Amino acid sequence: MEKSGSIDSLGSKRSSSRQPSVDSLSSASTSRSDRSAQAKPPSAMSSDSVATSTELSPELRVRKPACHVLRDSSKEEPQLLPNEIVQDMAKDVTYICPFIGPLRGTLTVTNYRLFFNCIDRDPAFVLDLPLGVVSRVEKIGGASSRGDVSYGLVCKDMRNLRFAHKQMDDTLRKSIFEVLMKFAFPVSNGLQIFSFEYGQVFPENGWKVYDALTEYKRQGIPNESWRITKVNDHYELCDTYPSTLVVPVNIPDEELKRVAAFRAKGRIPVLSWIHPESQATVTRCSQPMVGVNGKRSKEDEKYLQAIMDANAQSHKLFIFDARPSVNAAANKMKGGGYESEDAYQNAELVFLDIHNIHVMRESLRKLKDVVYPNIEESHWLSNLESTHWLEHIKLILAGALRIADKVESGKTSVVVHCSDGWDRTAQLTSLAMLMLDGYYRTIRGFEVLLEKEWLSFGHRFQLRIGHGDKNHTDADRSPVFIQFIDCVWQMTRQFPAAFEFNEYFLVTILDHLYSCLFGTFLCNSEQQRVKEEIPKKTVSLWSYINSQLEEFTNPLYVNYSNHVLFPVVSLRHLELWVGYYIRWNPRMRPQEPVHQRYKELLAKRAELQKRVEELQREVTNRSASSSSERAGSPTRSITPVQTFV
Amino acid sequence: MFSVKPLKPTFKSYLPPVQTDVKKNIPLPIKKLEAKLLPGEIVVNEVNFVRKCISAESSQDDLWGKLICTNFKVSFISHDALPKQRSQVSHLLLGEHDIPLTCLEQVVTVNDTKGKKKVLSSNQKLKFNPTELILYCKDFRIIRFCFDEAGPESAKKVCLAIAHYSHPADPQLLFGFEYRGRQYHGSSGEQSNGTTLGRGFQTPLFDRPSEWDREIKRTGAAEWRVCSINEGYAISPSLPEYFVVPVSLADQDLKQYSDSFTDKRIPMWCWNHPNGSALVRMASITDQLQQRKIDQRICTGITKSHPQRSDVLRSDLDKALPNIQEIQSAFVKVRQICVIDPFEESEEKWLSSIESSQWLEYVRVFLKHSAEIVYLLEGKNASVILQEEGDRDLNCVVSSLVQLMLDPHYRSLIGFQSLVQKEWVMAGHRFLDRCNHLKKNDKEESPLFMLFLDCVWQMMNQYPAAFEFTETYLTVLSDSMWIPVFSTFLFNCPQQHAEHLMDFTKSKRIPLGEEKVLHFPPVWDWSQQFSLKDQTLFNNPMYVGKGASCVQNGTVKTFRRTKHKTYSSTLRGVPSALRNGLKDGHDTLTRRNSLLAQLRPDFSQMREVVESPSERFFRDWFSRPADQKGLLIPQLLPSHVTLWRLYFLRWVPEACILKGGPVTAYQKLSQLVDEIEMLQSKLRQYKGPTPASTPISSPSGPPSDQRRMYFQARTPDETPATPEYLSSSFPFTPVGNLCRRNVHGTPISKFLNGAKIWLSTETLANETL
Repeated sequence: MEKSGSIDSLGSKRSSSRQPSVDSLSSASTSRSDRSAQAKPPSAMSSDSVATSTELSPELRVRKPACHVLRDSSKEEPQLLPNEIVQDMAKDVTYICPFIGPLRGTLTVTNYRLFFNCIDRDPAFVLDLPLGVVSRVEKIGGASSRGDVSYGLVCKDMRNLRFAHKQMDDTLRKSIFEVLMKFAFPVSNGLQIFSFEYGQVFPENGWKVYDALTEYKRQGIPNESWRITKVNDHYELCDTYPSTLVVPVNIPDEELKRVAAFRAKGRIPVLSWIHPESQATVTRCSQPMVGVNGKRSKEDEKYLQAIMDANAQSHKLFIFDARPSVNAAANKMKGGGYESEDAYQNAELVFLDIHNIHVMRESLRKLKDVVYPNIEESHWLSNLESTHWLEHIKLILAGALRIADKVESGKTSVVVHCSDGWDRTAQLTSLAMLMLDGYYRTIRGFEVLLEKEWLSFGHRFQLRIGHGDKNHTDADRSPVFIQFIDCVWQMTRQFPAAFEFNEYFLVTILDHLYSCLFGTFLCNSEQQRVKEEIPKKTVSLWSYINSQLEEFTNPLYVNYSNHVLFPVVSLRHLELWVGYYIRWNPRMRPQEPVHQRYKELLAKRAELQKRVEELQREVTNRSASSSSERAGSPTRSITPVQTFV
Repeated sequence: MFSVKPLKPTFKSYLPPVQTDVKKNIPLPIKKLEAKLLPGEIVVNEVNFVRKCISAESSQDDLWGKLICTNFKVSFISHDALPKQRSQVSHLLLGEHDIPLTCLEQVVTVNDTKGKKKVLSSNQKLKFNPTELILYCKDFRIIRFCFDEAGPESAKKVCLAIAHYSHPADPQLLFGFEYRGRQYHGSSGEQSNGTTLGRGFQTPLFDRPSEWDREIKRTGAAEWRVCSINEGYAISPSLPEYFVVPVSLADQDLKQYSDSFTDKRIPMWCWNHPNGSALVRMASITDQLQQRKIDQRICTGITKSHPQRSDVLRSDLDKALPNIQEIQSAFVKVRQICVIDPFEESEEKWLSSIESSQWLEYVRVFLKHSAEIVYLLEGKNASVILQEEGDRDLNCVVSSLVQLMLDPHYRSLIGFQSLVQKEWVMAGHRFLDRCNHLKKNDKEESPLFMLFLDCVWQMMNQYPAAFEFTETYLTVLSDSMWIPVFSTFLFNCPQQHAEHLMDFTKSKRIPLGEEKVLHFPPVWDWSQQFSLKDQTLFNNPMYVGKGASCVQNGTVKTFRRTKHKTYSSTLRGVPSALRNGLKDGHDTLTRRNSLLAQLRPDFSQMREVVESPSERFFRDWFSRPADQKGLLIPQLLPSHVTLWRLYFLRWVPEACILKGGPVTAYQKLSQLVDEIEMLQSKLRQYKGPTPASTPISSPSGPPSDQRRMYFQARTPDETPATPEYLSSSFPFTPVGNLCRRNVHGTPISKFLNGAKIWLSTETLANETL
C-alpha cells in the first residue's frame, strides 16, 4: 500500500474512527478474522464492518485487526488518541448485551470515549464508542437485592446500551457513570468538546476543501446574469448565510437588504446551482413574510422576476415550497407564508408535502424501536411501514427529483424554500444538485456539496444533533441530515456506478456527525464557525477522509459526463438502509461484497498485465537477437484494453 | 397436418373475405405480414389491422399489425419497430411480440362501447364483438390488443381461437410433441442428431444408473448403491427408474416396503455430506400397522450407511411449511400487487401489501427450514430424512436448497441444472399439474419451482460471488416453464414422460429411425432458445467457484470437500462462554419500546434464555468470513429477504430505473473479467500449449463469440463511444409488455411517478414536461 506512511500516522485515528463500532460479537469476529489474512473483516456490528468489509483493500484488512491485537495485548485500556485522557476506570461492570447476554468486564471513560472490555471471553469482547453518540444516560432502578445499580445509555446512532455495577461501598466515590455523564455532555458541564483538544495532523487539510469562490467559478459564476456579492461579508444581511452569495446582476446590494426584510431570518433567494447549458438555476431562500394580511414586497417580486429573467430559456419560474400546503398556510399566523401567484407573475408554486423536523424525529424514533435490538420475525414490513421512514425518504427524493427534472428537462429556474430554508430546503437543493451535477458525486465534490449547501447555508447542526448537550428532549433535535444521507444511499443503490464514494463513506460521515472528534459538524452557521475559529482549533473530517481516499472509493465508479440521474422514487425500489440502521445486530452480515470482488479482479488484471508485459519483453529480446519471424502476433495490443482505476 | 385436435374449419373459411373487406377501408400500407412458424406449427386464425398497445399513457407509440393464433403461440407481426429500446436478447423460438399459448394465464375480451368483458376459456361463445383483447401471461406480462380497425368477426374468431388453443385437452396437444415429432419427418431422424449441443447439454439427466453412480462417487457416499427395482416403473409410477438406496437394504425388502408408502415411493437418497451424513427424501407411510416397523428398518439402513452410525433425524415438511395452496395464493397476491394493481395506488401501502401476500415470508420460511436441515447434516453430523406426504412438492424445494447451501458444485451452472434434474424432474415433481399447462385443475396449480428460484435468488443476492450463473439465468429459466417444447416442465414424472412419448410416437407413426424413443430434449440445451452470445448473459463475472477462470492470485482453487472439517472442529472448539447462557434475543425477546421496558431488577435472568443449538451454529458461522466456495447459510432476518425485482418488476415501466440498476455493476464487472480473460489467453499464447493448459485457444486469441462475458472490454482502437446505458429491466424491456387497462394517462413524464401522488395543491394539468 503506497500510503502506509500516512496510515501509520493515522493509526490511532483509524482505530477511533472505528470506535462507534465494536459491539459484542464484532470483536469476536474481528479477532478471529485477523488470524487468517484472507479473512473478511467483522461481520455485523460496526460502522466499519458494514462497508469496510466491502471496501478495504486486502492490505488494509490485514492492518486493521492489528489495532485489535494491540488492544488485546494491553487488555484493559483503549488506545488513546492525542490528548485523550482516561478519566475513570471501573472493574466488575456488567454490560448487558441484548444479543449475547450479560458480560462482565472493565469500563473506562476518557474525555472522548467509553471503553468496555470483557476479557473473560475468548476472544475478548470490546465495546468502544465516542461519548458524542450518547444522547442520554439514565440511572435505572434503585439498588436490587444484590446491590447492583443499572445505567442505560440511549445513543444517537440507533442503539441503547445497558450497564450494571455493584453499589459503591465507598459512598464518597462517584460512580463511573457520573463521570461519564460529565464528559458525555461537555457543553452542559462547562467543558470543551473533544474536537478542540484532538490535535491529530493529517497530510491534507480538509478545511481547504471548500472555497465558495472556486466552487462558483466552477459553475461559471460570475457571468452576465449572476454576480457575487460581498454584502454579507460580516454576516450583517443574514447571520445564518455564508459571506459569499450569488445574486442576480441587476439587483444592487441596497435592494437585497429590502428583500431580506421580507424573507424569514433575512434568508433571501440566492443561487445554489446553475445549469451549464440552459442557465436554469436552483435558488434557495426562506419563506416570504406574507402573514395573515397577505403582505407583499415589491422588491421581493422584482427579485424573483430577475431570477426568472436570468434564464432566457424559460418564461416561467417554479417555486417549490417543501412543506405541506396546510403547514405553509399555518405559517401565515406566525407572519410567514408562501408566495401568492397573483403577486408573483409567471411564477408557479408547488408544495412538496415534506413534513417538519418533529415528524421526522418521531419517525426515526419509531424506526429505532423496530430495528433495535431485535427485528421481529413477523410483520417486519408493516412495522417498517408504520414508522413512515421510507415514506418520508420517498417524499424528499420525489421533491428533489421534481426540482431536478424542472431544471434539466424543463430548462426552468426554480426557487426552493421551506420555512427557514435550512432543513428541508438543504435536503432538496443538495439532492437535486446531486442528480444534476456529476461533480457532486465524486468524493471531493460531495464534500463541497455538504460544505456549501449544509454547512455554509446554516443547517443548524449543533441544534439538530445537540453536540455535548444533555438536554435530550430538545425539540430542535431532528435527523434531517441523516435523512439526507439516507436519500444519497438510496441513489447509490439505484446507480451503483455513478458515485465515486462507497457506503462506508456515508456511514463514516454519519458516525462523525455525532463523534465530536472533528470540527466539521460543530456550530449552527458559518458565522459561528468563524467566531469560534473552528477551522483553526479543530480538525476537519475531510482531512481524515481525504488522507485515505482508497477506503472510501467505489471501484465501480464510472465518470459519465453530463449524466443526470433520475432515480425511481417508489417504494418498490426504496429500501431500509440495513447497513446503517441494523448494523448492531450480530445476525446481520453485510451483503457479500461486490466491491471487494471487483478489487480482487483489478489486482488480478494488474498481475496479468505485468506478466504479459514481461513475456512480451522477453519475446522482443529474443526476436531481436535472432531476428525471428514470430514477433508479430503477440506484441499486438498488450496494453490494457481498458483502464478503470 | 394438425390432426390430433379437430380443427375448426369454420375459422379459416370465414377469414379471407372479411380481411379483404377491411383492407379496402383502411388507408394503411398493405404489406405481407407472415408469421414465422416452427416445424409443425400451423396458423389457426389471424386478423389484420390490429393495434398492439405499447404504453398505457398514450396510443401514439402503438404498433399496427397482424394478430395470429397458431397451435404454439399468439403472434403479432408488425412492420414498425418498437419506438424505444428493444429487448436486448432475441429468442430463437419466439418473436418479440410472441406469447406461447402455454404462457397464457387468462384471455380477456372487452367491448368498450357495450361495457362488456369476458374471460374466455375453451369452447366458449362470445356474444359481443371484442374491441380489445387482453392477455394476462404467466410470466407477468399483460399484453393488450385493440381491434378498432380490424374486422369484428375475424377479431372475435382469433380471440376464441386463442382461448381454445390455450386450453389443450390432452398433454399430447402441447406443441412440443408436434414440434419434436416433426423433426423426424422428412429428414428421417437426421435432425434430431444434428441439433447443436450447447454446453448445457453436459447436464446429467439422472435417467441412467451411471449418472447416479457418478453422483455417489462425487459425494463419497460409499455405503449407498444404485437400485434398479423400479426399472420400467415396475414399483412406483412416480419414482425414477434408477435411484439410490442404502447398501444394507436389499431389493427384496425395498419391494416389500414399497407397498406401505404413498405412491409406493420408498426413500430415495439425495446427497451425502463429506462427513458421511446423508440427505434422504421419502413419502409418508400409509400403512399404519407397518409404520413403526418399516420406519425402523429404513432408519437402521440409513444409520448403517453412516460412517459414524449416527442417528437419523426426520423432518416432517408438511407440518413445518406452508402447503401448496398457501404458496399459490401468496403468489397470486404478490403478482396482483406487482403488476395488476395500479402503480400509484399500490404505492402507499406497498410494504404492508407485500407482507400480507406472505410470499416473502414463505421464501424466508423455506430458506430457514433448509438452513435448519443444513445444521443437522453439518453441525450435528446426522443423516436427515425429509418427509412429505407425497414427496413431490415441498421435498423438492427443501432438498435442493439444502444441497445448494452445502455443496458448491450445485452453484455451478451444470451443477444447478443437474440438481433440478435430480430433485425435481426425476423425483417426480408434478410440473404438468403445478404449472397447470392444461388449465384443467386450478387447485393443483402452485408455483413451487418459482418459490425455489426465488430462494436461490435470495442466496445469490446475499452471496453474489458464489453462483456461476446470474439472475438473468434464473429469470429465463422460469420463463422457459411456459414454452412447451422442453420436456423438463411438461410432465408429472419420468414415467408419464415415457408413456406419452411412446404413445405419441405410435399414434402419429413417427419414423424414429434407429432411435428407440422420440427425442424430447430438456431445457438445458440453451442453444435451442438463445444464441451463444446471448447465453453469456448467464455467466456471473464474480463467480469464484470451480470453473471460474479468474480466481484471486491466478490459482484456481477447487473446492475441497474436507472444508467442513474446519467448521465442525471450530464448532467443537467454541469457548464455553459461547456455549452456555447464550441467549437469543431474536426469537425469544419481544421488542422493547423504551429503555425502561427493558428494566429487569435482576438482569442475570437473561442467562436463562437459551439459544437453540442451530441458532448458535448459525451465529457462529455468521461471525466468521464466508467462504463462497464452501458452506453458505442465507441470512434469515426478515430485513434481508427482499423482493426479487428483476423477476417481479421487469415489465413495470414505472419501476424501471433508466441508466441504472444492478446491471450497471454487472456490466462493469463483465468488462473487467473479459479483459482478464483476454490477458490470460495472451499468456497462454506466450507460453505455448502446455500439458496443463487446454490447447484450444486459437493463436489470435479467442474470437469474440467465444468470450464468456456478454459485455466485452473495449480495445484501445475502438473509440469510447457514448456509454451504453442500460435499464434495471435489462435484458428485458417493459415496453409494450405491461398494459394495465384503465390506467389514465397523465402528462407527467414517466420518471416523475414517484412524485405524482404527492401532488396536493397543483393540478396535474399544470405539470408540463
